Amino acid sequence: MISTASDIVTSPARPNRVTLRKTLVSCTLLALMLLLAIVVMSLIGSEQLPARASLCALASFGTTACGLSRDQFDILFQLRLPRILLAAAVGGSLATAGAGYQALLRNPLAEPYLLGISNGAAVGTMIALVFFGANEWTRPLLAFTGALAATLAVYRLARGRAGATPERLILAGVIVTTFLSSAIVFVTTLMDATRIRSFTFWLLGDLSGTSKSLLPVTITIAIVGTLALTLNARSLNLLMLGERDAFDLGVEVGRVRVVVFLVASLLVGSSVAASGSVGYVGLVVPHLARLSLGSDNRISIPAAALGGALFVIVADTLARTIIAPRELPVGAITALIGAPLFIYLLRRA
Amino acid sequence: MPCSFPENRRLRGAFLLSHLKIKLLLCLLILLSACTTPPKSSTENFREITDDAGRRVSLPRRVDRVISLAPNLTEIVFAIGAGDRLVGRTSYCNYPAEAKTVAEIGDTLHPSLERIISLKPQLVLISTASQLEVFTQQLQNQNIAAFVTDPHDLNGVFRSIEQLGLILGHEEQAKLLVQKLRERTGAVEEAVKQKPPVRVFYQLSAEPLYTAGHDAFVTDLISRAGAVSVTADVPGAWPKYSNESALAAKPEAIILPTGGSMGTGNSTVTEALRRSPAALEGRVYKINDDHLVRPGPRAVDGLEEMARALHPDTFKQ
Repeated sequence: MISTASDIVTSPARPNRVTLRKTLVSCTLLALMLLLAIVVMSLIGSEQLPARASLCALASFGTTACGLSRDQFDILFQLRLPRILLAAAVGGSLATAGAGYQALLRNPLAEPYLLGISNGAAVGTMIALVFFGANEWTRPLLAFTGALAATLAVYRLARGRAGATPERLILAGVIVTTFLSSAIVFVTTLMDATRIRSFTFWLLGDLSGTSKSLLPVTITIAIVGTLALTLNARSLNLLMLGERDAFDLGVEVGRVRVVVFLVASLLVGSSVAASGSVGYVGLVVPHLARLSLGSDNRISIPAAALGGALFVIVADTLARTIIAPRELPVGAITALIGAPLFIYLLRRA
Repeated sequence: MPCSFPENRRLRGAFLLSHLKIKLLLCLLILLSACTTPPKSSTENFREITDDAGRRVSLPRRVDRVISLAPNLTEIVFAIGAGDRLVGRTSYCNYPAEAKTVAEIGDTLHPSLERIISLKPQLVLISTASQLEVFTQQLQNQNIAAFVTDPHDLNGVFRSIEQLGLILGHEEQAKLLVQKLRERTGAVEEAVKQKPPVRVFYQLSAEPLYTAGHDAFVTDLISRAGAVSVTADVPGAWPKYSNESALAAKPEAIILPTGGSMGTGNSTVTEALRRSPAALEGRVYKINDDHLVRPGPRAVDGLEEMARALHPDTFKQ
């Protein structure tokens, strides 16, 4: 699927306007579906809310209660909606980061979770929680640092004398993942026993601890990150031909690499700090985007962002309702859907 | 090689001789033991007691070396005056203060089998809460007696105390302790009998939100303190709970187990419940977590503390 990148580059005759229109049409459609999902999933939860009154309150952006009781209003606007928005931000961030890594590393299996980058962010978050527990802002900051360190480690390990082969990259990811998993186990021993249970749940990806103060930050990073990678999509298209060819075609390879590493690490860091390691989003969603819209990053990156948001919103709605009033970690759902879907995609490709 | 042969032969001779000696010694021992003690002796020095897991445990009549693998069991052993028999405890066993002088054998979930063996215990006390089924089997394979307790409620605690009293030969102290604890429990229950039960949410941890379910020990304690846990029917002991269901349950009071082994953790109400009736009326009570989650003698302290917090008028001096 990556090899089709050459089509885009070797057909300069194709006018850019077609791409722009295709991008706008598909992204508008996806954005409408996302909006619909946000509204519909707001009506589903462990507590039954009157549908018509909820819709009316949602349409008024929470300015009128529309006959909802105070508790119902709070459930809708203080608990459910922020959690759905966080799910969208996390899904968008992870899918965009996955698409970015896949383009830059020229490997369809590059994914934050599988390469150990989520684990790097998790170690950072846990260090922030253990040593600077009171200060919420240290979590995304250290998560970003951890993700960036893991990214650089994977990249350095994957580049052998013969360049970065796909196999080498995945092996490097396995090594970094297992090393950082041990680091996570080590950090949990520093915590008291009563907190370990909640950490194992969080590590699997959990959106229930939506922090009001961090939610706007997570959403902003998701949007800015997606825009930043989309603006570099043309260079990424050329990079998919190989770094040397891209350089010959005028791409500032070093600069693009730095931008993608920084932005993707930021996206992974902010989403892991908010919700733990939600797996498979960065793998499955960009794949689906490329399969249905082609491998031009100018379309597939923004489409992956919107699709990722959609995917995690649906997965989290399942996580919070199927055994209600108890809950499952959302990461368990994304892996349950993602792993078989991925096997299916692999066999079809 | 040839020159070493006679030496070898001598060695072999010596070996055979010592082998013969050992065999003779063994025969003598068996003969001796056969004539000095009647055959049913082994059943007289040992007795079988059924534990909470339904296992029949064979124990010496006098148990002098005990290891406890759970803080509540350590507390019971000391409370019935048998603390001097304890030769090993977990790192979580921090009460009473004397317990800290006993050797550590790891934490409740990961005890060290090697250290346990080296302490030569006659009996290891286990709580089902530690999830040590595999470990119990390993102890059994090493011929170390393991006694499993599984108290689900306050009556279960009283039963554990009496069982340990019987095992350690402190039956009188155990009976006396249980009697005192029953009296205190009865007094609390009598005082809150006429009161409408307070709807309580038990917040085990805030993010993610965990609570006490149907199987949790503290759920029984709450119901005895003139209250009812809003999550009493949720399956399991410590379920991960939905934020919105917690708010929709409209708890009148929130209990935060904190200040004991928990330290300063869990001392604020979860964001989702800040607008619950309990939080708005200031009915949020911090209670020592060790008194609420350990099925030991201090659980009655926890019961009294909860009842006093939930029904302040009734317990006014």
